[in-house]
Amino acid sequence: MNKLIKNISFIIGIFICLGFVLVKNEEVFFEYPEYWPKPVYNFSKLSMTEEEFQLGRHLFYDPLLSRDETISCASCHLQATGFTHVDHDLSHGIEGRIGTRNSISIMNLAWNTSFMWDGGVNHIEVQSLAPISSENEMDSSLATIVEKLNKSEKYNSLFENAYRDSIVTGQKILLALTQFVVMLNTYNSKYDKYIRSEIGGEFTEQENSGLNVFRNNCASCHKEPLFSSTDFKNNGLNIDSTLNDFGRMRVTKKPQDSLKFKVPTLRNIQFTQPYMHDGRFETLQEVINHYTSDVQHGPTLANELQEQITLTHKEKVDLLVFLRTLTDQEFLYNKRFSYPRETPTN
Amino acid sequence: MLKSKTITTIRSKKIKLVTLVVLFANSILFAQENYLKIEINPFFKTKVLEKNSWYVSKNNDSLQFTKIKFYLTDFKILTKEGKIKQLPNSDFLVGIFNGESKSILLENVSYKTGDQLLFNIGVNEKMNTSGALSGALDPANGMYWSWQSGYINFKIEGKSPSCSTRKNKFQFHIGGYKKPFAATRSKSVTIANAINNVLIIDFDIATLFDSIDISNLNQVMIPGKEAVEIADILPDLFSLNE
Repeated sequence: MNKLIKNISFIIGIFICLGFVLVKNEEVFFEYPEYWPKPVYNFSKLSMTEEEFQLGRHLFYDPLLSRDETISCASCHLQATGFTHVDHDLSHGIEGRIGTRNSISIMNLAWNTSFMWDGGVNHIEVQSLAPISSENEMDSSLATIVEKLNKSEKYNSLFENAYRDSIVTGQKILLALTQFVVMLNTYNSKYDKYIRSEIGGEFTEQENSGLNVFRNNCASCHKEPLFSSTDFKNNGLNIDSTLNDFGRMRVTKKPQDSLKFKVPTLRNIQFTQPYMHDGRFETLQEVINHYTSDVQHGPTLANELQEQITLTHKEKVDLLVFLRTLTDQEFLYNKRFSYPRETPTN
Repeated sequence: MLKSKTITTIRSKKIKLVTLVVLFANSILFAQENYLKIEINPFFKTKVLEKNSWYVSKNNDSLQFTKIKFYLTDFKILTKEGKIKQLPNSDFLVGIFNGESKSILLENVSYKTGDQLLFNIGVNEKMNTSGALSGALDPANGMYWSWQSGYINFKIEGKSPSCSTRKNKFQFHIGGYKKPFAATRSKSVTIANAINNVLIIDFDIATLFDSIDISNLNQVMIPGKEAVEIADILPDLFSLNE
């Protein structure tokens, strides 16, 4: 008798399994140019489905994530400015509270080995915990969000679609957000088309000259093709005594990491102002002038900056013109990445 | 989106039907009856440990506890013959008060009296660097640092008039996985008397408070030297109930 029950449940089990396989979600593809390095991120926990992507997109744009439900991820990470917070040196959170750093752009994250200006976060899947729980940002907690989302009919159905299970967990929230942000990839700027010899990638003489200036003076830290590096560097900024932010040292507690910050990507830099970890420079001219004339020498200054960078006026202008070729309009205006206005379809 | 021919693509992994069926069949046809249940028995010296009761340590500190939560992970059996049997997915979050779980169920485990039970107090480096995990390790459990990635291995909160802090509170959030501040510790107990497959492990919080000066050391919320100092004492809190 007992054996019979076992056999029957075994067969039912097979049917249930088949059912799961037959209801197949729509796949999403993670694409990048063939000549780029392989992404660092291991995608194994993501379902790589449209449903998970759309769920992540809804979460990214939903103020429900903050304690008083006034700000969303997108409040400080706006698509049209390369997913960063334009016009504010220090980003602000709920109730107008001011943080201590300039929000960093979100692009090509699958190639990052650490996150935040000081690299305090070690994995893309747990990155969103930082703004969620920071007092000056969303001032909430993952547990609170799990509770709120479990009460929401809209999210129950979005989670059901994505995971065949409407129960919300912390892990699922983090994975869905990852599925969205990891897709925010930019590789269709004029510079990229130039590299691929595509139509629209024809460089002017000035842009070519700017590229040379860049390669001779900037590219050792802002490495092509991602225009960043996974390193932390002291780029010679004098310390802002109102913040006393020593960067990477907070994480490693090593004096040799004092004043070191992440080398950020320069992609879409035309629109990601203000610049630096504390947003002290409003324009790219100021940034370039810093590197040519204001670098502060100290024990942890980057090797690359030990020798002064000298640029003629023309070289500076050419460099600025080149930096604009890193703008990727297709990325900045891609509707798939924008606020989800309708029920998610495609 | 990308017009060039040069595209590399990462696709989703198709569910392998075979794997699912095999897993399902396994769980039905070979349901194991071998298990080991571990009960954590919390006390302060000779008194049962209860929330908001007063206790006095060897240093004459009066103490009250409001929260004690910790991870016990990565269970293994070391047989008398010296063989190590790893128990997969054996990561548990134990909470002493508020009806949180004080028992751990190890399933599909075979052991003999006299074998050693090995486990970690806290979460190992690999799990600290593996992104968003589920179950006991879900960051929603409130045992995860957001500003500097990593699990809080051990949380002890309460108050004592010996602490000149706000509301006399002490807070120990012990964690950290990077050398030299790694705070996860291993522990082994002999499986001497698991009557009806239940092993009782005593947890004496007095051991910690007898060995630290809480007038000086009362707020540890980040990985570092102080966290390591406390982590070194934690294994001594656990012992087999004889």
